[in-house]
Amino acid sequence: MDSSIVEKIVKEIEGYTPKHDHEHVGRVTAVGDGVVAIDGLSKAVMSEVIVFEEGKSKKLEDSMHQTSALLGLILNLEEDGVRASILGDTSRVAEGMTVKSTGKILMVPSGEELLGRVVNALGEPVDGKGPFKKPVMMPVERQASGVIDRKHVSVPLQTGIKAIDAMIPIGRGQRELIIGDRSTGKTTIAIDTIINQKNDPADKRPICIYVAVGQKESKTARIMQQLRDAGALEYTIIVDASASAPATLQYLAPFTGAAIGEYFMDQGKDVLVIYDDLSKQAVAYRQLSLLLRRPPGREAYPGDIFYLHSRLLERACRLSEEKGGGSLTALPIIETLEGDISAYIPTNVISITDGQIFLMADLFNKGVRPAIDVGLSVSRVGGDAQTKAMKSVAGTLKLELAQFRELEAFMQFAQDLDKATADRIASGQRMVEVLKQKNGAPLPFEKQVAILYAATHAFFADVAITKVIEVEKQFTEYLDGQHSKTLAEIKKTGLVSEDLKKELNRAMEEFKLAHTELFAMK
Amino acid sequence: MDPKKSVHAVHKILETEGRTELMPRIARAFERLAAREHSRNTVTLTVAHKRDEAQSRQEAAEALKELGADAHTLETYVDDSLIGGWRLEGREHLVDESYKKHLLAIYTAATL
Repeated sequence: MDSSIVEKIVKEIEGYTPKHDHEHVGRVTAVGDGVVAIDGLSKAVMSEVIVFEEGKSKKLEDSMHQTSALLGLILNLEEDGVRASILGDTSRVAEGMTVKSTGKILMVPSGEELLGRVVNALGEPVDGKGPFKKPVMMPVERQASGVIDRKHVSVPLQTGIKAIDAMIPIGRGQRELIIGDRSTGKTTIAIDTIINQKNDPADKRPICIYVAVGQKESKTARIMQQLRDAGALEYTIIVDASASAPATLQYLAPFTGAAIGEYFMDQGKDVLVIYDDLSKQAVAYRQLSLLLRRPPGREAYPGDIFYLHSRLLERACRLSEEKGGGSLTALPIIETLEGDISAYIPTNVISITDGQIFLMADLFNKGVRPAIDVGLSVSRVGGDAQTKAMKSVAGTLKLELAQFRELEAFMQFAQDLDKATADRIASGQRMVEVLKQKNGAPLPFEKQVAILYAATHAFFADVAITKVIEVEKQFTEYLDGQHSKTLAEIKKTGLVSEDLKKELNRAMEEFKLAHTELFAMK
Repeated sequence: MDPKKSVHAVHKILETEGRTELMPRIARAFERLAAREHSRNTVTLTVAHKRDEAQSRQEAAEALKELGADAHTLETYVDDSLIGGWRLEGREHLVDESYKKHLLAIYTAATL
């Protein structure tokens, strides 16, 4: 045997002081579906972590080979005992097993070394890159910051998506819901937002946390690859509670994401957390609650389903300067059925959040992507966070688009339209084209401003609708090459001053002259 | 109240309501409650070898006192996986003074 190992063992034995502890214990009386009934543990507290004693009657060598302690989480305090969920392999728990109280509530690791990593709902690494060396432990359940500790939302969080940054702006510390049917681009918006943070300087760039709840492992793997390819994984942490994970872990995952984010927020940093999605978390919580024999309410959800989401989303905030000035922005995702936003969980989360981005299957199928319904989407606090530059170019955009949608419906019946109406429809059609955006291609803020300035100043009026996207792309490249100083100035000042307006007008004129064939309306 | 009288009274009520077939189930429920109560109040001492029992009882006397249990009611078991020492369990408490526990603690500290 290596002498250093012997020395280490001798050192451990010499320095060992046995503990004569009285441990508080209980006994498993029933196990099933990831939930255990425990007799005893009368001093246990809610959300306390318990340890199942697996080594009893096992030989020493077998106990040594045991991987990790099997934990449980107390969720019900009852007259004769407690009910807890198993945070691991249910098959390892047997009736009569001794359960030890730890006196601690659930904590998860956080810290810089989690960046670029994938963890499960307990914060354990699942990406095969080894354990964390010195993580900071954060409580999974924590009271949200109070009124005194908060500051109003005033700093923008750029998503890189023109339609959102222009019409439904999001501020740092805001809670903006992304809602829509399946396959309407909800996750895409979230991922593009993470990727777009790369455009921010490293010191101002938010730490991003993507929480996958009840998703397919293949989807999470694809997202991880997408983020890695875009160079966004280095500032992102993925919390994965896949569809195959126990309901308890799916219920806990969003809280884990919030806990990890709070560490960075407490350090004065900005954090963006995406909960994808809270509908699946609600379903997991319903399953758990029914197994815990809590009384079912509407749609069999437990009575505290609203509190489940409100206490999670309340943890999103922007802290005051005294508290370090950090922020935690939450982008929860909710999946609707047949566009029904008046269902139980969607209405709950809509009422909790500071606005919603509503994605419509019809628009998506028409090729309008992102398929944002401008009429139903709103940002209640983001307006204050919008830069002056964006406000000046996109101020009336939402109203114009809403008017266009109304006229668009009218257009299908009317044969002859007066010139003003026809012009408005033509302008609306071009605006819709301008706001279209490919996935995985978020646009820096200054380019968005330049394009929207052009669009609101009739730049695309003479362009055929089918060519708008192409012209926009070429114009962006042209600005990048010939007017990079103008773009840099917009980015630096966050304003479109009179001088910059002249510069942009000049750029538009020059581009038109150089590309007359694109402005021939054919 | 006299237990016989209590059972009789319950039986009478059930008879009046036409539910006498519930009687065996009620009896089983009482059995379960009694078993649970017994297991809650029972304190067990587990030793590695039968020969260690007397010494272990002496060593565990203090802990037993803290649990408020009587030494006469102590149930003793032998579990050779403990290697040595003893383990006292009952009334929601566990005092583990087995060699196995201490060896595992050293192993964990050395291999971390």
